[in-house]
Amino acid sequence: MAAILVCTVFGAGSVWAADNSHVAGLRRLSEQEYRNSIADIFGKDIAVQGMFEPQVRMGGLVATSTAVLSVTPAGFESFSKMADSIAIQVTDEKHRGKLVSCKPKAANAPDDACASEFLGHYGLLLFRRPLTSAELKARVNLAGAMTKSSGDFYTGLRYGLAELIQSPNFLFRKEMAVPAGGKAYTLEPYSRATRLSYLMWDTAPDAELLKAAETGELNTAAGLEKQVDRLLASPRLETGMRAFFTDMLELDTFDNVSKDALIYPKWGGAMAPSAKEETLRTTINLALRENGDMRDLMTTRKTFINRSMAAIYDVDFSFDGDWMPYEFPADSGRSGVVTQVSMLSMFSHPGQSSPTKRGVALMDIFLCEPTPTPPANVDFSAINDTSGPLKTVRERLMAHATTPTCASCHTHSDPIGLSLEGFNTIGGRRLTENGQLIDLSATIKGTTFKDGPGLGKYLHDNPKYPACMARKLYGYAKGVNSEDVDATVFKAAYKNFTDSGYRMRALLKGLAESPEFFSTPAAIQDASAEQPTKLASH
Amino acid sequence: MRLHRRTLLRGMFQGSAAVMGVPFLDCFLDSKGQALAATGQHLPTRFSTFFFGLGLTTSLWVPKKAGLDYETTSQLKPLEPFKNKMNVFSGMRVMVDDNPNFQHWSGNAAIATGIAPTKASQFDSKTIDQTIADVISRGTRFKSVAAAASGDPKHCYSSLGGANTLPADPSPMALYTRLFGPGFQDPSKADWKPDPQVMLQQSVLSAVSDERKDFMKNLGAGDKTRMDQYFTSVREAELQLAAELKRPEIVAKVDIPAAPGEMPVNYALPNVRTVTPLMAKLGALALATDQTRVFNLAISEPGSNIFVPGDPLGYHITTHMEAIDQNLGYQPRVAKYNVYSMELLASVLKELDGIPEGDGTLLDHSLLFAYSDQSYAKIHAVDGIPIMLAGNANGRMKTGYHIAGGGAPVSRVGLTVQKAMGLSVDGWGKGSMETKSAYTELLA
Amino acid sequence: MIVRTSLLGSTVAVAALSILTQPVAAAPWTRGFVVGTYGFAFHYGGRPESAETDPGADCPRGSSVHFADEENMRKALVQQPWRSKEEIENIIRPPGIEKARLPTYVRFYVWGRAASYRGWRKGIETYVNPFAAPDPGQPQVTGRIADGLNLDGKVKAIDFVGTDGEKGIDNALYRAWGCDAPFRNPASGTLDLRENTQMQEGLYTVVIRITGNQDSRNDSDATVEIGYSPDKIVRDAVGNVASDYSYRIVKSEQYTKLRAKIKDGVVETEQVDRLHVPRIGWFPDQMGDADFHSGRLRLKIDADGRAAAGFVGGYRNWLDLLAENTFAQTGAEQGIRDHEDAVSLYYALKRNADGMPDPKTGRNMGISMAYRIKAVPAHVVDPAKPAQVRRPEEDEKRRKGYEMVKAAMLKAVSTRTVQEVPLGTGEGQFPAMERTIADLPSKDFFLKTLDAPGKLDENGKVISPAPKAEPQRQVNNSPATAVASADGDP
Repeated sequence: MAAILVCTVFGAGSVWAADNSHVAGLRRLSEQEYRNSIADIFGKDIAVQGMFEPQVRMGGLVATSTAVLSVTPAGFESFSKMADSIAIQVTDEKHRGKLVSCKPKAANAPDDACASEFLGHYGLLLFRRPLTSAELKARVNLAGAMTKSSGDFYTGLRYGLAELIQSPNFLFRKEMAVPAGGKAYTLEPYSRATRLSYLMWDTAPDAELLKAAETGELNTAAGLEKQVDRLLASPRLETGMRAFFTDMLELDTFDNVSKDALIYPKWGGAMAPSAKEETLRTTINLALRENGDMRDLMTTRKTFINRSMAAIYDVDFSFDGDWMPYEFPADSGRSGVVTQVSMLSMFSHPGQSSPTKRGVALMDIFLCEPTPTPPANVDFSAINDTSGPLKTVRERLMAHATTPTCASCHTHSDPIGLSLEGFNTIGGRRLTENGQLIDLSATIKGTTFKDGPGLGKYLHDNPKYPACMARKLYGYAKGVNSEDVDATVFKAAYKNFTDSGYRMRALLKGLAESPEFFSTPAAIQDASAEQPTKLASH
Repeated sequence: MRLHRRTLLRGMFQGSAAVMGVPFLDCFLDSKGQALAATGQHLPTRFSTFFFGLGLTTSLWVPKKAGLDYETTSQLKPLEPFKNKMNVFSGMRVMVDDNPNFQHWSGNAAIATGIAPTKASQFDSKTIDQTIADVISRGTRFKSVAAAASGDPKHCYSSLGGANTLPADPSPMALYTRLFGPGFQDPSKADWKPDPQVMLQQSVLSAVSDERKDFMKNLGAGDKTRMDQYFTSVREAELQLAAELKRPEIVAKVDIPAAPGEMPVNYALPNVRTVTPLMAKLGALALATDQTRVFNLAISEPGSNIFVPGDPLGYHITTHMEAIDQNLGYQPRVAKYNVYSMELLASVLKELDGIPEGDGTLLDHSLLFAYSDQSYAKIHAVDGIPIMLAGNANGRMKTGYHIAGGGAPVSRVGLTVQKAMGLSVDGWGKGSMETKSAYTELLA
Repeated sequence: MIVRTSLLGSTVAVAALSILTQPVAAAPWTRGFVVGTYGFAFHYGGRPESAETDPGADCPRGSSVHFADEENMRKALVQQPWRSKEEIENIIRPPGIEKARLPTYVRFYVWGRAASYRGWRKGIETYVNPFAAPDPGQPQVTGRIADGLNLDGKVKAIDFVGTDGEKGIDNALYRAWGCDAPFRNPASGTLDLRENTQMQEGLYTVVIRITGNQDSRNDSDATVEIGYSPDKIVRDAVGNVASDYSYRIVKSEQYTKLRAKIKDGVVETEQVDRLHVPRIGWFPDQMGDADFHSGRLRLKIDADGRAAAGFVGGYRNWLDLLAENTFAQTGAEQGIRDHEDAVSLYYALKRNADGMPDPKTGRNMGISMAYRIKAVPAHVVDPAKPAQVRRPEEDEKRRKGYEMVKAAMLKAVSTRTVQEVPLGTGEGQFPAMERTIADLPSKDFFLKTLDAPGKLDENGKVISPAPKAEPQRQVNNSPATAVASADGDP
């Protein structure tokens, strides 16, 4: 941490205690955010081991669920143990020289001044805002009492620090809104710093960002821009964008993917993480390194592969490092991430491909068009019968087109998947199925295309795709359901994106600097305690 | 009567090690919905390991059916009386990655640590029983106990990592002396002290709970509900800690036997057959009287040298020397030796299941982890090493299953074991055996 | 399919047809394979319903099972006229063995020591000095069918007929060794199984690369390379060697590029004076160059290119073969445990040697043989940076021990003078036997009567002969591991 002096304690009357402020959002830290925050605050060699509670996907994003999930007893038990384990490491002999900035007057007695310095410093970083004097005093007292009980100053520090790390103030990102004139509300500065930091770098705000909050810089357009530009220019942007794309591309689906070992023995343990990494590298390379047109994510033939992926794609691996850049030849049938092993295998059955699953997923991920679930009484036996007269999956699926109850959804979701039938369930290329050549043509609402490159071009040219990506980024940043967000909500920022040639950095900058980004609705007076109410507009 | 949090905390900051005189009421269930013993006291879950060398014969032990109600194969027959309290795992794989496949070592080391060893006869991390002991053995007399029915104290596969293994008691007499000789404290008498760390942890939780009022200020209704849940979780943790401050009550009905005396302890099968159940009984008594919560028993080393008197070759050499019977498709004498291992495991389970405790037996409140070093000893193969679990872990482990691993890494079993034992862990193992995927169908 | 060509149809349908039904126009192509099965090409002629060791068309008396039981052990020991009857019987049943803690190991090592000293007079270790023992007699293969290649281009009376009917197959090694228990029946013969398991688990990797300019199934001017890869074999989800993985091929003067002709997927290379390929083996010391004289390779590739099988063969120096096989551990280890007799294998080699005549003496120094190969598709690539096959430090120490023993044996056989067993290598089961019999009541009898490569003092230290250099242990004979694994080493 840079040695920037930051006021560590709020005086009385801070917005955190003000009566006209309200909590606009309460977002539980995700596993990756927790780990990144601890690593940045205490250093990478502090081990974080434990069980994190599962997250849920809402509106296509896991980030949305952080705004509605809480902490179960088992989850808290784990957070409590992790907090203690982290605190033990931070105060142990190996680390205290570096991480504890002061020395106690005596090693076996309380020293409130040193405890205050230590707990105030880390309290600021962990709570992402200064502690109030009451908050700090309570922790110093706790540490002092623990020191007396145990006879060791550092043990007292440990328990004090552990309390901070399992406090709801660390585990939940509290977003405080203050009046902004008329009926409008906006986030106060520390909340702004937090929202920016987790969006751009997927971690807790650093000292400079906290200082910008403290001085009120973040409330000014120029000050905000300065910080946004700094965050965008840093290599750490990659961490933040990896987190966003992992969420948007639903790469955590791999946790539940298994393939039939007898039919596809090539799919082993190394495949899932490799496929995930390939897609992330491709996306980050286009978005950040090449600063390219994000629509090209649908058409680029450039990728990065390791030895495992090389085996599925059936190409030479150079062994020059674990990952090598690779460009598919023009006749490979590959086009963008939609024909990478990740997308093809995550949304597919263990033993055979699934145009419907692929279609449904890609429509939802890239066009923000989810498909309703099938009726309860559907009979799947016909589609899976390979011994009947309908030899290909396509033929069996097309049977749905003639049944009215099925057609409405299947004509919506299947076409994308049908154009991808040139790839089996583990993402390998195939030309025939059961001895018959595969027909890769597809029609969506009158537009016809075929095969991977055809699909890629269709998505590339479809204005819904960049709009969907923008909506998802907005929902991700603010913790709202992307299905409830229209691109018109942040019109100017979106225009910035399209005008720039669909560059990711332009979208991020436009969003972060838009007035809509930090605006929040007025406090909800709804007395219903059953469910979190859906907020009408953001 | 709702127990007020403050009741638990009186006297906290004076650092006194007072026994909390708070009665436990029937209305208490712990946060996992686990029933407490009739007296209201938590029954700790105990952990045991059982190691047997040289595996089994795949075509004779792996059931064709997977899941519940699998058929009892000929080599699993000795375990039939305990079938509904066991899970068996076939087709689990050891991936050694860039490391050699050390004969009679890589397999069992990988099962015990989730990591393919880089050196022979060494573990690349603490073994699973020690990881579990770190969490569950707080306050017991022995962190863990180990015994070797072969009579060699080096036959112990419990380690803190590296080349050193914990010493095993090499005879029933040595085990008895350790457990019930000098130093034995009858837990129903004497002065038992709670773990002082628990008191300190309680202060931390109390401070977290104190944040409630400030934190809940200005929250909307929906967020209030969520934070209610959070603070309820904190309360639950406080109550759990309070329970640990109470002296454990021994609910097992046991008599401590007389000393077993000296007897020959070696590789001759009749001796192994006498010594194994005796060591198991002593270990079970130790678990029941809370001398320890982790007991490790090995009936041989990885290349087991057990022999039937009159057989000049013995088990290990036979696995290499005996030809495969073309008609049967396996080595007949080896298959007989395999079954002896299963009979010995059954004799151990009999001892654990034979101690009544509360509404069940010690076995019901335990988890036993049995495994071997090779799947096909003749050629030192490690794909499909037999692995079994026994006991319901105080209701946390469902039993009666045959899990057909289909090439899944062996570390998945170790991860499942740790979760059933209540460890807060989301992943285990390294390299290709790194996994976050426990067998959730077995976890209650 | 791994065949890479530079011409493919521009649409899927056309490309499909062109691959499946029409011959592709002449263009550079490459096909790679990783070897999943690699062992001696021995043909099993037993009946399918009989036990592995039973008589068959290949071995009319069944497999030879040296040292397998007391009867066979006695047969070996009575050939030493200097052994008294008492000694023989004591060796076969060591008195008081039931009182030893490890009776099975006592027997194993006592038998092993005895089997190591079968010279015409006392005191000669006969794995190092096989010439000094009378021929124990290895039954030969008398069947007519064998796998392998025609190496001398002739069809001689003594030649085998191939399993596909080809005449003139030269595989004298099979004749010499094919009836010995660990080699008979590749499906379950101990050594074959172990070799392949070890290789598949990563002991070493062999790759083959075939290139040409015409057509992968029919090419009059193709090139074949075979060599080691530093990259471990990857196994798939069901445990087989996985297909389509990339492997580097190590460049070395050793590896010969062979010209080849391909007809309907059958690759036949030219025959070259010296063909260097990796050796088969199941221990690190066995790794190295198999130097085939008049070597050639044949590989049959399946129509869809998803599998390949064949042979690589030639004449190998038979003393090299003997050393590789005998001293993989110690001469006695495989003898007692796997029922082979390296001394009888020595004589069998000598008898059957049929190539590489020594220019001075005219004696045949080589024997015809072949390795069997089964392979699956792989991308065999040249390494971007120079790559070596790494061996762990332990393996290098082990190899040094092996080289010491082998050197002693070669000197012994070529000079016909008795050589000492190099100490620290474990050969002769020394000091394993002394340590194992420590609690045997009759141990003094064995310490006094049985020959030994050296002597131990009361503290178990080797005192004579004085070790010349730091012993490089080939076999770890410390009691702990000797007890833990009969193979004697991790």
